[in-house]
Amino acid sequence: MASVAAPEGPARGLAWARQDPALSAAVLALWLLLGLFVVFPLAMLAARVFWDGGHFSVAGIGAILTDRHQVQAFWNSLLLATLVGLLGTFLGFVFAFTVARGGLPRWVVTAIDGAVLLPLISPPFTTAIAFVFSFGPRGLITYELLGIKGFTIYGMGSTLFSEALTYFPIAYLALRPILAAIDSNIEGMAMSLGASRWRVFRTVTMPLCIPGLANSFLLLFAASLADFATPLILAGNAFPVLPTQAFLQITGMFDLRGGAVLSLALLVPAMAVFVLQRYWVSQRFYVTVTGKGAGTAPFESVAPGVRWVLVAACVAVTVVIAYLYALLLYASLVMAFGANHALTLRHYGVIFTEGLKAIKDTLVIAGLSMPLGGLYGVLLGYLVARKAFPGRRTMEVTSMVNYALPGTIVGIAYLIAFNDPPIELAGTALVIIACYVFRYGPTGIRTTIALLQQIDRSLEEASESLGAASGTTFRRITLPLILPAFFAGLGVVFIRSMTAISATIFLVSINWTLITVKILENMTELSLGPAAAFSVLVIAIVFVVIGAISWGLRRMRAPGAEPVTSLLGG
Amino acid sequence: MEAVGVKVEVVSKRFSHKVKGEVWAARDVTLDVRPGEFVTMLGPSGCGKTTTLRMIAGFERPDTGRVLIGGRDVTHQLASQRNIGFVFQNYALFPHLTIGENVAYGLRVRNLPDSEIASRVREVLALVGLAGYEQQFSNQLSGGEQQRVALARAIVIRPQVLLFDEPLSNLDAKLRVQMRHEIRELQRRLAITTVYVTHDQEEAMAVSDRIAVMNQGSIVQEGTADDLYYRPASAFVAQFIGRVNLLPARVESAAAAGGEVTVLGQRVAVACLPTGARAGDAVRLVLRPEALALRAAEGAPALPRGTVEGRMFLGEKVEYVVRCGEARLQVVSYNARPGELLAEGSAVAVELKGPDIPVLPEERP
Repeated sequence: MASVAAPEGPARGLAWARQDPALSAAVLALWLLLGLFVVFPLAMLAARVFWDGGHFSVAGIGAILTDRHQVQAFWNSLLLATLVGLLGTFLGFVFAFTVARGGLPRWVVTAIDGAVLLPLISPPFTTAIAFVFSFGPRGLITYELLGIKGFTIYGMGSTLFSEALTYFPIAYLALRPILAAIDSNIEGMAMSLGASRWRVFRTVTMPLCIPGLANSFLLLFAASLADFATPLILAGNAFPVLPTQAFLQITGMFDLRGGAVLSLALLVPAMAVFVLQRYWVSQRFYVTVTGKGAGTAPFESVAPGVRWVLVAACVAVTVVIAYLYALLLYASLVMAFGANHALTLRHYGVIFTEGLKAIKDTLVIAGLSMPLGGLYGVLLGYLVARKAFPGRRTMEVTSMVNYALPGTIVGIAYLIAFNDPPIELAGTALVIIACYVFRYGPTGIRTTIALLQQIDRSLEEASESLGAASGTTFRRITLPLILPAFFAGLGVVFIRSMTAISATIFLVSINWTLITVKILENMTELSLGPAAAFSVLVIAIVFVVIGAISWGLRRMRAPGAEPVTSLLGG
Repeated sequence: MEAVGVKVEVVSKRFSHKVKGEVWAARDVTLDVRPGEFVTMLGPSGCGKTTTLRMIAGFERPDTGRVLIGGRDVTHQLASQRNIGFVFQNYALFPHLTIGENVAYGLRVRNLPDSEIASRVREVLALVGLAGYEQQFSNQLSGGEQQRVALARAIVIRPQVLLFDEPLSNLDAKLRVQMRHEIRELQRRLAITTVYVTHDQEEAMAVSDRIAVMNQGSIVQEGTADDLYYRPASAFVAQFIGRVNLLPARVESAAAAGGEVTVLGQRVAVACLPTGARAGDAVRLVLRPEALALRAAEGAPALPRGTVEGRMFLGEKVEYVVRCGEARLQVVSYNARPGELLAEGSAVAVELKGPDIPVLPEERP
């Protein structure tokens, strides 16, 4: 009766605003920002598509959507996303199951975690580049080992495998806590009733995991649908997909409207997935993930033979990942990969001279986006989870829009919205920073809300009853307790600011450019050495920053606070 | 500090519930707590007691009605402006602060000098038996100790009113009994006006000056523990406070003071009848298990007959279940001597210890 989780219902009139001026100021500021950087760009995008010469028109859409090539791209995108979803979820489940039930030694789990983390924190096309080094026309395996001349790697197969390797860690991270949280007594109970291991797996473990599997399929589907760089490098002309087509429409044919139409076509499946994931799958979880493990299985839940097969599969995939990254490092250290394998630091020389501006720009932008995005996430998450004000739900949903949309749409929308007056931001660092803050800050919002749901409201009420006003309560009680969410938000915004490309490729300029864009340029110009060196540098920087953040978090964490399991979890 | 009174005036609060639609969490609740008094709101879960308490605290705002503390209308004040001490069911200790800092929190908010904060924290921790715990964290403490810290944190600010929301329900039975004595003791010593919420009738009877029994959002009866036990105004209160046999009876004769009723085929004199009761009316008798006595069947020919169906020997008392015609009676017998235990199946006579038996009117369903 009394434990209403969050304040519901509209506050009467403007009473709430008078009661708590700090709250109303924060709400107003956030709405202004959301309006400017989320609603306005999308409205401008829609206007560009549906508005022609002062009246409503669907002619532009018709022209593009009857183009066979573009329709093919649409179906290709859906096919690729489906296959990546299936393959990635399968891989993720194998990994999660092996780690949760395989009884592996601690260090093996740590090694697997490390290898799985690599694709997550790298620029999304790193695997694609390494694929080219390995299987390309002059690839280590295709050319050097097998001696095949003129091998074409470009097409759906390589795109699929590259994306699956890049994104399966998402499935692993989503499924592992679910498997760990299944009470082992339930499985033990089934076994005590006479069920075999296989039967227990089939009738108990799997059914409990199905919402998790569906969830991870949708996450991977969305990731693949939005992926722009991997197809750009690997898909080739034979396998067009929507994000790259939209990009080429704009940069190659200078057809902003056509690009906008194509990106909108991407919106339909992306939104469908988002709605399914949030309002259907997420309400069907049987297993509550509390952060506390349910203990290790009291019995051998996996037959020894099966266990070895699983471990072997995980080790094989881990070795492939390690091999691809080693290859990347190697390619950055030789004169000309595939031709001259003499060791050199020349490529690093190149990136620190010619590429220095990109490095500086990227660090400045990531450095500014990080605190802003972290603060934005914590503030909005706190208000939405804990405060009653009109439009609370709408604010939460609006804040998630840029995060849920494929980067291509957001990039094109920003390009259209901020290129001309009244708000001319094109060419500035601000437009890129805003893009990152509102696209990646929502991770912090989600983590904050999740963390606040674990923190009982009575803590804040206790503070109020002791005479603290809402500002003091937030500063002294809530903020210290949601610090982990703040840092997780910081970490994610920084990583993404260092590695993202799909949205910001439309926003870079002569004044402000990014490492990821440079890498892509280098790849298309076939200067593979600098591309590899840039990639290695990005990964190194991200590693250092993540290490620093988790170290800081461990030091700052008060003995009573909730432990932070993973920077990328949640 | 001078103790102040708390007044809850015709307060109502509605919630929208996903399944049940609009529900009244509190409906026209009126409660008057005198300065220094210890009043408990008692009732089953969902009866509105916690909502009412939270409205006194300022965590919830009433839809209608007023809350007054010390004669001042605080209905529209924030919790932080009311100078109250609140003890939560889950203690709500700040996990990132030490015990010392937890207790000091309200004093720091009030910008007191450090030296005074330190001495008051030390004093209050000693008062609750936790001297020297300043540097510990709450997760290093037992449930009972956490409870004491929560209490210390609430009283150190010298609140006008102390509010408790089921403070003992997370403790084990033995500790619960001990803590309720300590709470009562402390409240007497500090003379703080206190409102306490619990669903445990024994706890309510042990700590309170006065009890307000709540059901479905409303206060159904107010009074001291013995008032409620001996003079319940409804079947709900009779059943909620203690154990009871509610027996259908018929009024034989009604006089100015009391009258006679027939129950279990026997005429019994009662000291008090429902107002307006006339001969022939159906009523119900509130018979506590200890208001019945079992006699040997042979020696008491006039009393109703029964058969012992069950027996539970609990040391200082014996509980019997006796079949008596249609009725199954709960009977408690104290000070039984080794030879006096009745065996299951034995025939007995049932004696009603009148005449102060409460009589309730028949409730129309």
